[in-house]
Amino acid sequence: MSHETPLGSSAPHASCLDLWRERNDQLVRQAKVAQGLSLRRQQLAQDALEGLRELLHCLQGLPAAVPVLPLELIVICNFITLRASLAQGFTEDQAHDIQQGLERVLETQEQLEPRLERGLSGLWDSVLHSSSLLPELLPALHHLAALQAALWLSTDHLGDLTLLLQTLNGSQSGTSEDLLLLLKTWNLPAEESDAPLTLQDARDLRDVLLTASAYRQGLQELITGRLSRALSSLQEAASGLCPQPVLVQVYTALGTCLRKMGSPQKALLYLVSALKGGSTWGPPLLEASRLYRQLGNTAAELESLELLVEALSIPHSSEAPQLLIEVELLLPPPDPALPFHSGTQSQAKYLLASRCLQTGRAEDAAEHYLDLLALLLDGSEPKFSPPPCPPGPCMPEMFLEAAAALIQAGRAQDALTVCEELLSRMSSLLPKMPQLWGDARKGTKESPHCPPWVSATYLLQGHAWVQLGAQKEAISEFSRCLELLFRATHKDKEQGPASNCDQGCTSDVALQQLRAAALISRGLGWVASGQDTKALQDFLLSVQMCPGNQDASFHLLQTLRRLDRRDEATALWWRLEAQTKLPQENATWSLPLYLETCLSWIRPHDHETLLEEFQTSLLEPRDL
Amino acid sequence: MVGLTPRVDYLAGFCCPLGGLAAGKPRMLCLGAEIFLSTGSELVYVYDRERGLLTAVYKFPGQVWHLELLALRRALYVLCARRGIYCLSLDQASRSVSQDDGDDKDDGDDGDSEDSQDGEPPSSVIPVDPDACVLPDATLCTFTVLDDVLITLAQGPTQWKMQLFKCPCPGEDPRPRGQIGEVELSTCIPPAGSPREPTAPHFLPVLCCVSPQGSRVLHSHLRGSGGFTLEETLFGLLFGADASLLESPVILCGLPDGHLCCVVLKTLVTSRLAPGDPKALVKILHHLEEPVVFIGALRTELLAEDVEESHSDCLVALGHHGRTLVMKASWDEAGNLVPVLREYCLPGPVLCAACGRGSCMYHSTPSDLCVVDLAWRGTPWDPTQPDGSPGGLPSLLCPTTLNVCSVVTLSVSPRAPEGGAELLALSAKGRLMTCRLDLNSETPCPTRVTAANTGQKIKEFLSGIFTVSERVSSLKKAVDQRNKALTCLNEAMNVSCALLSTEEGPRPISCTTTTSWSRLQLQDMLTATCLLENSSDFSLDQGWALCVQVLTSSRASELDLASSAVTYTIPVDRLGPGSRWEVTLPLGPGEDGVLDLPVTVSCTLFYSLREVVGGALIPSDSFNDPSLDEHSLDVLPEQEGICLPLSKHTVDMLQCLRFPSLATPHMQAPGPLSPASDPVDTFLGACLGPGSELAGPASLQAKYLPPSVAAIKMSVELLRATLGDSHSGVSLCCATLQWLLAENAAVDILRARALSSVQGVAPDGTDVHLIVREVVVTDLCLAGPIQAMEIQVESSSLANMCRAHHAVIGRMQRMVMEQAAQGSSPPDLRVQCLRQIQANHEMLLREVHTLRDRLCMEDEARSRTTAERLLQVYRQLRSPSLLLL
Repeated sequence: MSHETPLGSSAPHASCLDLWRERNDQLVRQAKVAQGLSLRRQQLAQDALEGLRELLHCLQGLPAAVPVLPLELIVICNFITLRASLAQGFTEDQAHDIQQGLERVLETQEQLEPRLERGLSGLWDSVLHSSSLLPELLPALHHLAALQAALWLSTDHLGDLTLLLQTLNGSQSGTSEDLLLLLKTWNLPAEESDAPLTLQDARDLRDVLLTASAYRQGLQELITGRLSRALSSLQEAASGLCPQPVLVQVYTALGTCLRKMGSPQKALLYLVSALKGGSTWGPPLLEASRLYRQLGNTAAELESLELLVEALSIPHSSEAPQLLIEVELLLPPPDPALPFHSGTQSQAKYLLASRCLQTGRAEDAAEHYLDLLALLLDGSEPKFSPPPCPPGPCMPEMFLEAAAALIQAGRAQDALTVCEELLSRMSSLLPKMPQLWGDARKGTKESPHCPPWVSATYLLQGHAWVQLGAQKEAISEFSRCLELLFRATHKDKEQGPASNCDQGCTSDVALQQLRAAALISRGLGWVASGQDTKALQDFLLSVQMCPGNQDASFHLLQTLRRLDRRDEATALWWRLEAQTKLPQENATWSLPLYLETCLSWIRPHDHETLLEEFQTSLLEPRDL
Repeated sequence: MVGLTPRVDYLAGFCCPLGGLAAGKPRMLCLGAEIFLSTGSELVYVYDRERGLLTAVYKFPGQVWHLELLALRRALYVLCARRGIYCLSLDQASRSVSQDDGDDKDDGDDGDSEDSQDGEPPSSVIPVDPDACVLPDATLCTFTVLDDVLITLAQGPTQWKMQLFKCPCPGEDPRPRGQIGEVELSTCIPPAGSPREPTAPHFLPVLCCVSPQGSRVLHSHLRGSGGFTLEETLFGLLFGADASLLESPVILCGLPDGHLCCVVLKTLVTSRLAPGDPKALVKILHHLEEPVVFIGALRTELLAEDVEESHSDCLVALGHHGRTLVMKASWDEAGNLVPVLREYCLPGPVLCAACGRGSCMYHSTPSDLCVVDLAWRGTPWDPTQPDGSPGGLPSLLCPTTLNVCSVVTLSVSPRAPEGGAELLALSAKGRLMTCRLDLNSETPCPTRVTAANTGQKIKEFLSGIFTVSERVSSLKKAVDQRNKALTCLNEAMNVSCALLSTEEGPRPISCTTTTSWSRLQLQDMLTATCLLENSSDFSLDQGWALCVQVLTSSRASELDLASSAVTYTIPVDRLGPGSRWEVTLPLGPGEDGVLDLPVTVSCTLFYSLREVVGGALIPSDSFNDPSLDEHSLDVLPEQEGICLPLSKHTVDMLQCLRFPSLATPHMQAPGPLSPASDPVDTFLGACLGPGSELAGPASLQAKYLPPSVAAIKMSVELLRATLGDSHSGVSLCCATLQWLLAENAAVDILRARALSSVQGVAPDGTDVHLIVREVVVTDLCLAGPIQAMEIQVESSSLANMCRAHHAVIGRMQRMVMEQAAQGSSPPDLRVQCLRQIQANHEMLLREVHTLRDRLCMEDEARSRTTAERLLQVYRQLRSPSLLLL
């Protein structure tokens, strides 16, 4: 017992126990002072941790004795609290520390033999049963149990946790499986006034546990779709002790839940209070945009998205973590799949741009897309910006969408620039065209494979030329596009499912539609330059390619009429009539946004009038 | 390049630990004329080549694991093990040194001044200010810098974690504000170390920054900090269209488990709220199946004349055992661009490696420093030429030796001579040297071997063959050793299974213990003989040991002392099936002549894993691989083995009695010898002649005190049932006595003489008298008197009487248990009488307890009376003698 405390405690008759307790109290005070960011303070906290570790070594070097055990357990609790909060998470080490503490308790009860078979859970069971004989240990044991509960909560061992809480609550209420109820009814023994200092009060810890588990439970139920239960759990979490960032998350989750339950006004209220509450505006704004989209209020939706982009451009200032077990520590790792994951600025920007394009605000969309590209590509500034994570489109598609938006907005020249930029940046990966085409005459080698987005780039370039009135250039771009597309056919079949993102973005259906779009586009080009026979060929091909595509059939019909090939036209008309009566099933296809936009350009504007007009013109001669 | 002889110049020597520097941790960087060097210790040296002296030595609070230079800011970043990253400003550094230059020369002679051996002025050691720590994190394993971004790799409990920070400047408030990205390499599990005591990892991960050709990152500066610019084609093929479009640098990461993965830097901007999804951000390029020790890039194809700056067109990753991965862009038969990944094998273990500006890679093994040229000397790809090797990679790598051994860190000097290369190397002995190579373009192709170098080539082949055969033999040895260990383990497994699976009946391996008296060095010794009999089909071989534990009961006077145990461990030297093996051990009496009966002898078989497996795990070959032995020793903790209990035998008084009165003259049974084995006493005793009184307190006691007596009765019926047929022909008294002494060596004589009472001698020399007679018990049974057998124990020594009594009772207990198991019913008893007896006994026992408690507390005078009373009560307890029915 030659343990020297560096404290230099003046009391001459101080026993070792008093010295140790003094040391614990001093270290706890030191750690409490060390809350903060600066290096010095971090070092101070680290030193306190080391001090606690040493103290623990001292205490555990001696045989376990009941009078010292409460102090020893409190030191373990302080050690775990400080360590977990410094590392911002629990690890196996903490489980080990707890286990050691429990074994020390059992050591005094001489029940250590069969512990090998029992896990931590069994250990708790026997400790809590034997500790009923040792009432002086109970406060410290409950404190340790609270830490164990935090550990199990953060590692998702909910079964063990429920069992532990049932044991702690006494067996009379052991029938309840409800974690929240168990936590609420958990009656912590009162700590004595002269107990050693703790970093975090056990009651405080229990409240944190209650909030965290309510939030976790609420999220789980929200994901699995049990909305009313999710609502009550989340409300429980919101009413608890909650730091601001978590409160914002809880309110946002409540907003999501209420939106799904069909009460948008209540949801809005929660989102507003979330926005008022904290400095993390991302999730509530994103949720608000979804809400407005559901309500059909496009202006408000886009406004909230704009705000979201702005909010995300502010660098996220993280505060220094407290040296306590806090709710954040016990939450599941943030999951991008969760509905209120706000993502990054460029993701938000992309969302805004694409929504603008989808809702027909082409000018805004074009601006936003250009901003986005600048944000992503501007390498001069050492700002690292991400492209959107999956399931967003990959980078080439984003370029294509930008080009489509520019064409839609009537800025064909800019669209051409974007396309050229894309091709030049990827030039090294493109097949060396002239060489290979020269090679193709041998016929032995297969044509090179080319990602579909290259063809799509040519398609958009063609449309840009169309807008600029240069039919000749347009037709040559469309031809290039088609050439690449048809060369890719068998290669694609061989490769099976596309392995790379470059190809993966385009499904089979999309490829088919892309081909049809290219054929129709070229056909329209021929029509514009007065070469109806060539146009007819292309339209025929596109109808073959994509029998379900009505646009192709309409264009074909028109061309046939113009060429005065009445029989074929009539046959086609009958077929079209039959088709329009069938329910449209192709609505489920989800095509890339740029392709959708492109298809909208080549859609004949006046379906109904055309059909009616044709009908009359078709039927009139027969009547004669 | 055959016969490449480098010009080697030694620059300086640095102190190194005994046994040389270990590879993996030393680092070396060049900036202009300055060389920054760490040897794996706490020191970082700055050496000026032009002046030829050390300009500064920095002392860090822990081992230095990694160095990076940020030339633009003139900052040196240093990773200190278990501390974090420190940042030193180089300008500041030189200033502080120049101040110290005028100081006393012996200022810093705490063992470091000898670093500068070559007559340079010893520079003083500058301890690094803790404030220079810009990123405190104990889990960091490596890092790299790119512009002003710091990329770190930390080892979490379950996975590697890559983090991005805004490069902190010295003095700035570091961490939380600066973090811009984080992703976990979840698919790659870091080595499982004991989480409690983090040991230094054997292999550190390797990070390498790769930028695409068009990127605006300064290339010259990239090269300085271990980064490369890669040709767009290969870049796009390896890292995807997104990385190419973003022109984003990519971090290549080689892990100790062999994974080679990449992270596109611009996608890695995340925060706590938006974590990186590893599946989307981390791409695994390859698995090398051995620790990755180096990642580099090379230019393999000849440049067109007019191209100013060369970009690498080939990535190389090197594993510890020499497995080499080369990645290059190529065209497949259809003319599509595809990445070609090809694995080669170089001689290992690789200590370090470096890539030059050209097509050469240098790598060092303990025995050699080699150059590998990956240059593609064929024509560029031509579609008309069908036999173009895809990717333009050589089908085989031919390393050329430079005849420099055990270089632990390498760096290609930027000041390369024309048409050659200059390497900076640090040897395991701590010597810094330069190797100048002449890599002139006229180096012959392998096809154009001239006669002059054929001889040299043959020599090299021969030496190559020699090393290979050496390696083969050592590997063979290791394999044999392991096979043997496996066989042994299998055998041990069989034995254990055989022993543990037999619950009833005779066990396949048994151990029986018998006792006998023998005379050793004028003193009689009770010896136990353990007979190990192997009737199983397996043999007990090397590694097996018989452990015999002898546990003596404590003496009455040492109640508080735990009984003492002695364990003998005797290695079993090959015990084949069907054979037996005997071990004899002395049981006592000890030097004080006292034998504390009863003694328990338990036998256990023990199999030492360490002895059998330990040898096989530590390879004794010459290619001692540092990665192996440390791990293998961790596998086997001290004292690890298999323990199989065999038998337990109790030696009591009845087994130790000797009967000199029965001894026939011709029998060699050793007569009792006085335990006081003083030869003089023996002599005196002999002189007094037979019949004379024995000296010593025991004999005196025997003479003047009445002997202690105890008796036990048991019903004849019970005895008959127990003895069965064996007593036919003899009276029941004799049979009982024989049964009691069945385990004694003298039982044969007893049987021969048909005795019903016998006088024996206890180990300490006092008499013990056993008398068996028939009595009738009348008052106990309702049905009438019971025929009973009374066994009376009589001894002048109270202790011996008690021991003998205890032994007899032990036998009876066993017998009663057996009989009870067979289900014999006792006759009707008078319950009243039994109750009376029991009540009496209980009262007496209570008194015993109080007396014993009193005995502990009282002083000597009073304790004597208490002790006497205690003895009296004990006698009373015995006296309405026990009756067994």
